Amino acid sequence: MRIGDQFTIHRAQYFLRSAVAGLRASPVTSLVAVVTIAMALLLIGVFLLLLENMDQVLDRFGESLVVTVYLENNVAEEDVQAFQSRFSSIEGVVGTVFVSKEEALDRFRHRVGDQGGLLDGLDENPLPPSFELSLEKERSSIESLALVAQSIDGIPGVDEVSYAQEWVSGYENFLSLARVIGAALGGVLAFAALLIVANTIQLTIYARRDELDILALVGASRTFAGVPFLLEGLLQGCAGGVSAVALLYVLYELLLPYTAAGWSFLLGNVPPQFLSDAGTLLIVAVGAGLGLLGSAVALTTAKRP
Amino acid sequence: MSVGTTGTAGRSSDPIIRVYHASKSYLPGTFALHDLTLEVHRGEFVFLTGPSGAGKTTLLKLLFSAERPTEGQIILRGRNIARLSAAAVPALRRRIGVVFQDYKLLQSRTVEENVAVALEVLGVPPREIRARVFSMLKQVGLQHRRTHHPLSLSGGEQQRVSIARALVNEPEILLADEPTGNLDPELTIEIMDLLANASLRGTTVMVATHDLGLIDRYGKRRLALEGGRLKDDIPAHRFT
Repeated sequence: MRIGDQFTIHRAQYFLRSAVAGLRASPVTSLVAVVTIAMALLLIGVFLLLLENMDQVLDRFGESLVVTVYLENNVAEEDVQAFQSRFSSIEGVVGTVFVSKEEALDRFRHRVGDQGGLLDGLDENPLPPSFELSLEKERSSIESLALVAQSIDGIPGVDEVSYAQEWVSGYENFLSLARVIGAALGGVLAFAALLIVANTIQLTIYARRDELDILALVGASRTFAGVPFLLEGLLQGCAGGVSAVALLYVLYELLLPYTAAGWSFLLGNVPPQFLSDAGTLLIVAVGAGLGLLGSAVALTTAKRP
Repeated sequence: MSVGTTGTAGRSSDPIIRVYHASKSYLPGTFALHDLTLEVHRGEFVFLTGPSGAGKTTLLKLLFSAERPTEGQIILRGRNIARLSAAAVPALRRRIGVVFQDYKLLQSRTVEENVAVALEVLGVPPREIRARVFSMLKQVGLQHRRTHHPLSLSGGEQQRVSIARALVNEPEILLADEPTGNLDPELTIEIMDLLANASLRGTTVMVATHDLGLIDRYGKRRLALEGGRLKDDIPAHRFT
């Protein structure tokens, strides 16, 4: 190992030791900073949890979807065969089910239940014949459904192609709105947390002015004296992030039975899931960033020797 | 004013501290130091005396760059520090040890950690730090107290830790501001002996004190300040 590397390692060890000593020297103030960060991140985490689950709905939704191809009313029997072989040959399509006009009416009658008698008054069956195309599991995303629908739309004899795009785009719009609100609220919360953390760390700097004075006296540069405070902020931020995720998990598990109705309103029959690994890491990283930035702000604004 | 000093036989006669017409004013029209000129040679031991407000602490602050002179020059080791940039101050302080009446120790750290901090700032490897700190604590007779915290030590012991910290990086200059002000006579002698020994090993030592008995006992050169001016510069031989 080169001397320069050793120097860096010794410095890093010193900074870490000093940061830990600093945290231990003012446990109450440190705890306040950690709790503040944790509370802000908990709220951000709740939003992230909701958004991640709603994203899941869109992903999973595709798996149960089919592309419905409505044919023109007067389609001939032999044309149905031709359509079937044509649709089967589309890349990704694994199943084609023909729903005749009569079958469509039966389904409709079944769906409306008791009021099915109303349909008896019809002179003619108004429902068109259709094909239901199911896709390979790997291709069952909304995008793939749209591609398949696009390739069918406009074929002579095809009246309309549907894959619940309106519902999907409505849900997507709702999700975008939730994302914007989440980002705005998250930003405001993070900013508020940043100010509180900066203030808290500034208090610890004032409380330990003697230490900064003494370090300056023995020839420590501002950076040398400041790095342990930055590290303290970073450690507090990480601790806040980890606490927020832990608390969110406990609340999520404890409240699951009471929030089932809310979840099913948002997600339908897709079961809710806890934060993904990426989401968890994001929360901890935001915490670390808040702590680091809070310390930097405090160090810049605090009067130092 | 250039004063040849005694007690420095065999050492370089270059002045390590030169102060030329230095003044320090905190408020317009009033001077904490006024037109001060003096030289101190390498390895010399100098007492800085005078009543409260004479400018002793201000002079020491100018020497370790805690303050800048309003006028005049201060040359340390051939370099003018009167207009030193803030970024250059730490490097200067690493060559100067400072001891205060109130010890200025880190209460959250142990005795050996307090001494080690002066070496950590320099980036000395931990193994070397441990060895040098132990040897320094042995010199001040505190090796058995190295894991204690300052608050569990007596005043004299705390001042010895502070001196150990000031000397552990072998500074060329040691400045002490009333280092025995809080100590009883017996401990005062103990501390002064440590400072005198540092001088014997080649460190230039400047001690601000108003304890005339101490000055008589050690018979070193004495710079007497009054009202921010140098009133008297009495060479060491007059006491010996």
